Amino acid sequence: MFDKKDASRGRPAQGKSSSAADRASTATTPARAGPGSTAVIGRSIKIDGTLSGDEDLRIEGYVSGTIRLPNHCLTIGKEGRVKADVYTKSMMIEGEVSGDLISSESVSIRTTAKISGNILAARVSLEEGAHFKGSIDMDPKSIERALVKREVKRVASDPGGSERAKPATLTNVKSTPTETGAAQQAAGDKKL
Amino acid sequence: MESLAEDRRWVILDLGMARPQTIDFLSRFRCRVDIADLEDAVIASLDWQGESGAAPDPVESLRSMPRSEPADVVLTWDYLNYLSRQQITGLMTAIATRSRPGAFVHALTGYSRSVMSRRPGLFAPLDEGRLIELSTGTPDRSATRYSTEDLDRCSPDFTIERIRLLTSGMQEYLFRLRQPVEASR
Repeated sequence: MFDKKDASRGRPAQGKSSSAADRASTATTPARAGPGSTAVIGRSIKIDGTLSGDEDLRIEGYVSGTIRLPNHCLTIGKEGRVKADVYTKSMMIEGEVSGDLISSESVSIRTTAKISGNILAARVSLEEGAHFKGSIDMDPKSIERALVKREVKRVASDPGGSERAKPATLTNVKSTPTETGAAQQAAGDKKL
Repeated sequence: MESLAEDRRWVILDLGMARPQTIDFLSRFRCRVDIADLEDAVIASLDWQGESGAAPDPVESLRSMPRSEPADVVLTWDYLNYLSRQQITGLMTAIATRSRPGAFVHALTGYSRSVMSRRPGLFAPLDEGRLIELSTGTPDRSATRYSTEDLDRCSPDFTIERIRLLTSGMQEYLFRLRQPVEASR
């Protein structure tokens, strides 16, 4: 019944994230370079409210409230801290997250991630060393129900379709021009 | 584990930490996995030297987890070896209150090892329904070596459905929740 294999323990020193991800997190990323690009919320930015948009987003700062990117990918970087309910097409988590996370496709939890909450996604992958406490629901029917419920809730709270249920507020803006640009985009327009 | 292939929803409660192999294995079934991650609480309780304040209670960590759907399968694996009899009783009662009648609890206990590692071993399910022991660490604790009678006494809400001796020096138990237990317990 049992095979033994010499392997490292579950919570090793961090350091298994891909070099591509490392490069992405350290590079000077333009706030918004054009169609198909990734918007960035910089390290010193704090946002409280509802974020929604039509492009990919990377968070290295702090966001609380609700994040809606139903057709795009959200990356929560190593420096990122999120306390929010999140709805996306796909998600990659390297930082700290607390809340309900719903993705229509996949959630990838990297070795540096610390997550407390519930995940609903058809595909969930988790790297060795990641901290997770909560539930992971991979039942397609549950995900479908959650997505429908989310849509009903969104329409009810935003009948005009403006998605301005609660204005996002921005604090502690002491950032580089690049980061400030992203933050203004996120907080002012809210539609990324 | 064979039953998981049935086309129905399963709720699985894993008392250990989230493991890539477990999530990967379960991702092919219609299921929800609740991760209790009791390891740190269990170790804190074992290492507690009577310092000021209350003793850490790993069972409280489970009780404080939000309840939603009752569990169909509970994976305790190596954890019972790291609890006192009183804590096992508390744990099994807490499991009973958050599980469906007929729910299974899968546990492994050491029967021949006189020492066990500092932290609970890590296990991963394989495709063919076997478990692989990934790592046990250096053995430096006296093994508890609970008997079947011990575990039976500590689990009044459960029947022991199956016991199997394994060549690794472990004993595999399959408990089954006997009857509904009031949620207020």
